[in-house]
Amino acid sequence: MTAIRRRLVPYFLLGPGLIWLILFFVVPMYFMARLSLEEGTLTEGFRFTWQFSNFTDSLAESDTQFVRSFVYAGVATVLALLIAYPLAYAIAFRAGRWKNALLLAVIAPFFTTYLIRTLAWQTILNDTGVVVDTFKTLGLVSEGGRLLDTPGSVIAGLTYNFLPFMILPIYASLERIDQSLIEAAKDLYSSARTAFWKVTLPISAPGIVAGTLLTFIPAVGDYINADFLGSQNQAMIGNVIQSQYLVTNDYPSAAALSFVLMALILATVVIYIRFAGSEALMGEEARRA
Amino acid sequence: MRKTWKIVLALLALAAALGIAACGGGDGGLEEGASEEDVETAAAKPIGGEWTISNWPLYIDNKTIDEFDKEVGATTKYIEDINDNFEFFGKLRPQLQNGESGGRSMFVVTDYMAKIMRDLGYLQNIDKSAIPNVEENLRVELEAPDFDPEREYSVPWQSGFTGIVINTDLAPEIDSIEDLLKPKYEGKVTFLGDMYDDVSLVLKMQGADPANASEEEWNKAIDTIEEAADSGQIRDFTGNAYAGPLVKGDIVAAVGWSGDAIQLQADNPNVKWIRPAEGCNLWSDNMVIPVGAPNPGTAQAFMNYVYDPKNQAQIAEYVNYVTPVEGTKEVLEKQDPKVANNQLIFPDEQFTADCTPQAIPDPSFEDAVTERYQSVVTG
Amino acid sequence: MNGMAVESARIERSAPARAWKWLRENAITIYGGFAIAYMLIPIAVIAVFSFNDPAGRYNFTWEGFTLDHWSDPFAITDLTDAMVLSIELAALTTLVSTALGTLLAMALVRYQFLGRRASNFLIVIPMATPEVVIGAALLSMFLLYGVSPGFNTLFIAHVMFQISFVVVVVRSRLIGFDRSLEEAARDLGADAFTTFRTVTLPLLAPGIIAAALLAFALSIDDFVISNFNSGTTVTFPLYIFGASQRGIPVEVNVLATMLFAVTVLAMLFTIWQQRRAERLAATRPEQEQEIETTLALAPGQGRA
Repeated sequence: MTAIRRRLVPYFLLGPGLIWLILFFVVPMYFMARLSLEEGTLTEGFRFTWQFSNFTDSLAESDTQFVRSFVYAGVATVLALLIAYPLAYAIAFRAGRWKNALLLAVIAPFFTTYLIRTLAWQTILNDTGVVVDTFKTLGLVSEGGRLLDTPGSVIAGLTYNFLPFMILPIYASLERIDQSLIEAAKDLYSSARTAFWKVTLPISAPGIVAGTLLTFIPAVGDYINADFLGSQNQAMIGNVIQSQYLVTNDYPSAAALSFVLMALILATVVIYIRFAGSEALMGEEARRA
Repeated sequence: MRKTWKIVLALLALAAALGIAACGGGDGGLEEGASEEDVETAAAKPIGGEWTISNWPLYIDNKTIDEFDKEVGATTKYIEDINDNFEFFGKLRPQLQNGESGGRSMFVVTDYMAKIMRDLGYLQNIDKSAIPNVEENLRVELEAPDFDPEREYSVPWQSGFTGIVINTDLAPEIDSIEDLLKPKYEGKVTFLGDMYDDVSLVLKMQGADPANASEEEWNKAIDTIEEAADSGQIRDFTGNAYAGPLVKGDIVAAVGWSGDAIQLQADNPNVKWIRPAEGCNLWSDNMVIPVGAPNPGTAQAFMNYVYDPKNQAQIAEYVNYVTPVEGTKEVLEKQDPKVANNQLIFPDEQFTADCTPQAIPDPSFEDAVTERYQSVVTG
Repeated sequence: MNGMAVESARIERSAPARAWKWLRENAITIYGGFAIAYMLIPIAVIAVFSFNDPAGRYNFTWEGFTLDHWSDPFAITDLTDAMVLSIELAALTTLVSTALGTLLAMALVRYQFLGRRASNFLIVIPMATPEVVIGAALLSMFLLYGVSPGFNTLFIAHVMFQISFVVVVVRSRLIGFDRSLEEAARDLGADAFTTFRTVTLPLLAPGIIAAALLAFALSIDDFVISNFNSGTTVTFPLYIFGASQRGIPVEVNVLATMLFAVTVLAMLFTIWQQRRAERLAATRPEQEQEIETTLALAPGQGRA
């Protein structure tokens, strides 16, 4: 291949995908950005006035929901990791030729819609259902208490609904580990546990980073779980944005809130990646190549 | 070489952005065709062909559409996608702003939403010559509502009451809004997400007149609701969704709609709608024709069709809300006396004495209270 | 020394110790089993309630067993239409987004080029954006350019948010990918494209498949963005959301269970195919088998 063609290859690979993203993400975002700096109402019309106060105002009004969203999403992510990692490990290393079958079994439930699964949890966590009764016997729920419309149910819903986002990347990175490497490590460290901590875990780090991000980020902006499984006191920032856009029709505030949310998420992600090691995510490949 | 490229690309991006900005324009408001002379009147002809109507769920029986189609030679697409006035409005607003109707020829929206849409210039006037049945049979009480005194752009589809739906098994003694706020029902009560319904009832409870309430009175009512919401007294704010928990027994009472209670008795015979001691709200869901509606002639023909008492009787029997068509009761007395004599469907004057139309706040503070109420509902 | 060996052997053989050892060795598998059970609980509930016979609108409490809804699951035409539409949409968008995303991932991981940082950034941002915002922003843009919302806008929107996820999943597979196999192929005389086709792609396959599965699930599941960009088109989730307000018909449970069952069947089919391939390989001449085995082993290995 000639030198110039070689230089151009990455652009050809990038081209279609990037163009799609630019046209259908960046451009609409630009419009939203303009909207966030406008002021006015639906009846008066909106005017572009560099209204930066939209940002500060909406942040101040919805600080509870922001904190709540980050906490719920954080807890849900940790729980999801605890559930997903051993499962991904089991499938990658203990499943043998059942690997693909099990993977499909893990994904299959998520082909029934998000809404239906959440509604099923509504039925399961019902005040008069088996789960609540059991929890009452175990003393985890008070006599007149309930599981639905509490922070617990919203977090449980978030954890459940974002599990495949955690499982798949971890599985993908575990799956390519050579078994003989682990065997060698076990011999070297003479303990399965040490072999795990020193070899398996670090190699699967990119998968963990990808999984946690893919779980945490959408969870923060989610509003369906809070809608179906929670009461007004569990409302997340997604609920606020949705209601501001659709009910109050206060588009500038809704747009401003969205940008604040995105900024906060990005800040979290940047700190997280710095902490987790950016090479894990960005890949040493390109530097070597 | 590389650096120059970077600069060129950046400039191109900037130019593109500016170019797009030029097309961007602003988000309009009232200036877009809301003056009286500009309002179109929907065309009365031709009738027939395809048309689409958006309505609330469970608001029609399963035969009327087919029969209508056969009679006028139409193909009706009936979508039950309205669950909340504002959500529906939010979804369609960008198109309505551009003078398009989102493919629909008719929606059915509650009084206050019809007014909002009208004020923004999104609705057409109805050609009265196309709807003689409506002129003849519309109930007297509904002929001249505050928001559309000459019924220029709205025709009631069904009316209803907002009161309290209770589970008589679990809380037979509840009979007022005040009861709902009592500590013994903490976490066992829901309110509607609809500001107009909830606040009207609380205004009555606090002795204010919903039709003329001031901003302070509105805020005082919202204060009460906010307190109950934050403390967990009110378990949730719902649209139609209060019905499930009520049937299950998760809640003992809900602020809810009359027609629902009748339909819910099939799931749980202990469910009953009661009129709160303070009084109840009266509202209508109205058929309206948006600007840019395709095939408005057939839409108006449909309005006319359902205002024939015979056809309306079939709908009323299934829907169980208050029918706006005079003469339906007589038809039903022969077909289904139980429905004809149900106070909730054909209320007599005594029953509705305490009921007033939903309060609509004065435009000067409507936006402010709407925003305030929404922040209560979203925690 | 001998005595100690006998000692430990005796300890080894005691029943509780053996049970504990078995437990420790299989802990992961047992845990995995519980995890899968947890994931399947809601599906079980959905399936069970598809046999329910509720008197009224609501399908919350068990009222009686019936096969009525299974005998005619497509009774509600609106629901069936919505389901078919969702499946078509998901299939089409998955094809496009997986292709675009895989190419993107390859470019990002393997090449140094101008704008690499920016591209990385651009990929991550859609995932950090609340769906409400994406949905609303997209709709405003479509209207401005005169495109009325419908299947096409849904298609565009779905591919858009799928791409980022595909990239992330494929990328985590690409990192640490063993290039030596590709180099070997090229040494043997294959050009870049053939190498890609016969070596890279098969090795990448598990990652691509995982990404495609995720993309498909994302599309079928999507509610928020679809709600804004669907016009009068009704997808399965949109139908359910409407229905959830007023009582979900049992047919919804039936269709959801059917969807799940179909995926299970697909899974069983894959197993059957795998077994068949193994059996056939056992009957082939030795030489071919060696090459086959080498290539078959390759997917499981990526030496770090």
